[in-house]
Amino acid sequence: MTSTVTIVTTPPRGDGRMASIRRFVKTEPIGVVSIVVIAFVVFVAVFAPLLAPYDPLAQNRADILVPPSAQYWMGTDWLGRDVLSRIIFGAQTSLVIAVATTVIAGVIGVTVGVISGYAGGFFDLAVQRIADAIESVPPIVLLLLIAAIMGPSIPNTVFALMIMLLPSFNRVARGEVLRIKREPFVEAAVATGVGPARIVVRHVLPNMMGPILTLATLRFAGVIIAESALSFLGLGPPPPTPSWGGMLSSGVQYIDFAPWLIVFPAIALSVAVLAFNLLGDSLRDFLDPKLVR
Amino acid sequence: MSALLVADHLVKHYPLRRRSLREPRRTVHAVNDVSFSVDRGRTLGIVGESGSGKSTTARLILRMVDATSGSVRFDGQDVLSAGRSEMKALRQRMQMIFQDPRGSLNPRMRVGDVVGEPLVVHRRASGVAVRSRVIELLEMVGMSAGDVDKFAHQFSGGQAQRIAIARALATDPELVICDEAVSALDVSVQAQILNLLRRLQTEFGLSYLFISHDLNVVRYMSDDTMVMYLGEVVETGPTEQVFGAPTHPYTQALLASAARGDWRSARTADLAGVAES
Amino acid sequence: MTLYILKRVVSGAVCLALVTVFVFVAMRFVPGDVVSVQLQNATGVSEEQAELLREQFGLNDPVYVQFFDWVGGVFRGDLGASFWSGEPAVDILAERVPITLQIGAFALVLAIVAGVGLGVIAARLRGTWVDGATRVGAVVGLSVPHYVIALLILVTLSNVFRWSPPLIFSSIGEDPVQYFQQAGIPIIALALMTTAGIARMTRSSMLEAISADSVRAVRARGGGEWDVIGVHALRNSGIPILTLVGLELGAVLGGTVILETLFAIPGVGSLTYEAVASRDYPLVVVCTIFYCVMYLVVTIVIDLAYAWIDPRIRTAGVGR
Repeated sequence: MTSTVTIVTTPPRGDGRMASIRRFVKTEPIGVVSIVVIAFVVFVAVFAPLLAPYDPLAQNRADILVPPSAQYWMGTDWLGRDVLSRIIFGAQTSLVIAVATTVIAGVIGVTVGVISGYAGGFFDLAVQRIADAIESVPPIVLLLLIAAIMGPSIPNTVFALMIMLLPSFNRVARGEVLRIKREPFVEAAVATGVGPARIVVRHVLPNMMGPILTLATLRFAGVIIAESALSFLGLGPPPPTPSWGGMLSSGVQYIDFAPWLIVFPAIALSVAVLAFNLLGDSLRDFLDPKLVR
Repeated sequence: MSALLVADHLVKHYPLRRRSLREPRRTVHAVNDVSFSVDRGRTLGIVGESGSGKSTTARLILRMVDATSGSVRFDGQDVLSAGRSEMKALRQRMQMIFQDPRGSLNPRMRVGDVVGEPLVVHRRASGVAVRSRVIELLEMVGMSAGDVDKFAHQFSGGQAQRIAIARALATDPELVICDEAVSALDVSVQAQILNLLRRLQTEFGLSYLFISHDLNVVRYMSDDTMVMYLGEVVETGPTEQVFGAPTHPYTQALLASAARGDWRSARTADLAGVAES
Repeated sequence: MTLYILKRVVSGAVCLALVTVFVFVAMRFVPGDVVSVQLQNATGVSEEQAELLREQFGLNDPVYVQFFDWVGGVFRGDLGASFWSGEPAVDILAERVPITLQIGAFALVLAIVAGVGLGVIAARLRGTWVDGATRVGAVVGLSVPHYVIALLILVTLSNVFRWSPPLIFSSIGEDPVQYFQQAGIPIIALALMTTAGIARMTRSSMLEAISADSVRAVRARGGGEWDVIGVHALRNSGIPILTLVGLELGAVLGGTVILETLFAIPGVGSLTYEAVASRDYPLVVVCTIFYCVMYLVVTIVIDLAYAWIDPRIRTAGVGR
């Protein structure tokens, strides 16, 4: 679910944004397809209330466990709720949690990583030890512990996932800082008399945004998977909030006679994760100057 | 002519990382007892091969690297033990131009911001005044006002170095250290930059510490020359004297192989005896 | 070399210590404790009796007292006893460890065999639809979470073949057929993720190697395409496989938790889940320690294997 990633950096090419985008389209067709898919998922998540044919929470005792039909495109569950609507709102749940997690973890992880890399010393050592400790616990176990402590709720889920994600951002940020510190223009800034704070903000940070963004994209899929795993175990967003993982876990008991309860959330989850993974791969390939095509 | 910069018995030792506890500790003597002075309005050239300690010396002067021992006085003020605000004030008066023109400019900053940063950091200008001063500086080095909003990588090496010079001059410094400032440029461009530097020196009464491995360049630019080898000063004096009548065997060998057009082979037979002396 | 191992073990120990402290302290903050969870099942247990139980378990002592008690116990070889059953935690763990390790081992072997095989085929048949299909399959395999794969397999099996796996566990020694019936799907699901990664890496390292000079030599001697690949298959894929296993390790270990619980396999994973659910602190601590130790040991072994496979790393002095 989570794996370490080496980010390769490259200095900015001479061309501007439009030329970069055109180049991306030409060399990374799969990346383009995945962007389209992601855009679709985001669209669905954002406009969920408008797109869902039924209220995802509305129970309908008369239509329990209806197989996919013209009326209910993906069938209904054991409370008569429309599966399609729940999947649409599930997209919203997953994306909101994933975005919140990635952004918060990114901000905190990068900040700590930058301070750690720039200042060094004992702080650096301590942070590295803690990050290693967090990473040596398998993600599920880590999430289990945190979520079990804090109880199932959306903010708690974000918190647990964020802890899981922090070490990666910290590591990449720190590595980038160490690399950039040695660049001539940082030396030049020091010689000019620029103070450390300004060097970090104006010289270091802008030059590491590329790898950080790539990392965020690559990790995004993992966050969605982890959140679904948590929901599957009953420790994620509490019912009746629709979430793909939760739908999967409750669908297990009906596996023999209502397979649609599992198949559709599984497909939705897989497609979303697949799209983000492909995009992350494309981005990384695109930014890697050493890749042989 | 008073001495603007005085360096006294500068020493910089780097300890080498041992691979196991059994190896003895070793140190690299990057700079070993180097002393010199630079007078106002004059240029001191430092020449030597790579590894001679020239660049390290430059960084010691600007306190970008901490010296193991020795002292540096700028206009009478002690540099190496200056406090934070004193150091910041000193940095306005001593500037540096680096070997890699485009590398020394932040690729994500616009030229105007790069040249204007010293002004902002040292509060010499603010708001609109910064931009007009930046344009003034750019024009002074042969660039144009239209370059203000471009990025460093859009320029050639020579142009980038001009921008770096503009940045160095932003705070009206008195001393500019040129660390292999033209080594990465084409020969034709080198001449342009060197002449620009000379013109600026005359116009603003600048003092230069000119570091290079290229003998011809050093000869052209410097009033006085200092020859370094393996971290030590082997010869120093007015340029014409050092180049015309060198006394140290290393200098002689250096000049001889340069005359042969291949100064890098100064390491061979000619120097066999020098290493021990 | 030994210096390096020593350094790694020490930093691993520090890791372990940090994690243990965290787990210990964290579990204490879980709302509700083991006594109240137990009480949910029993009726007619009075408040005084509940309090008595708590005293017995030391739950009312301050956290640091409980922690030091526990640490003291560790040095005596006693890692605490399950609150539920009273059995020593280590014993409970020891029963379950072999089962989880078996599943992990099967999954790993399957992943390597399938991954290398597919990667080699894809490299050899480069440019054909087989190659494309393998690459797409690889990405899919990397994306779909293991439990989703397991669920999809279950769905297919139960709806198309009207079959579902047994829920009563018998070890591989007793009844291999039933063992694989029950453990087969989790093993496949666990393997799939790593298979995809290994296939991809094998394929790309094959492609790189195919154009190398030593390969030209093989061709010059008259070897066909398959000889070329055969010569390089093992040697070149060794390092990528190790890298991948190291990277995926966390996910694979974590996968055992969900999969074991789903398929009613009595391994460490399901133990962890049950322990957390029932707030059985000593068991939770012991399980977490198990996972961390596994992770640390495997990463050190992988690093050593790197050095062994590639002697250049060894003599250059392994440093980080």
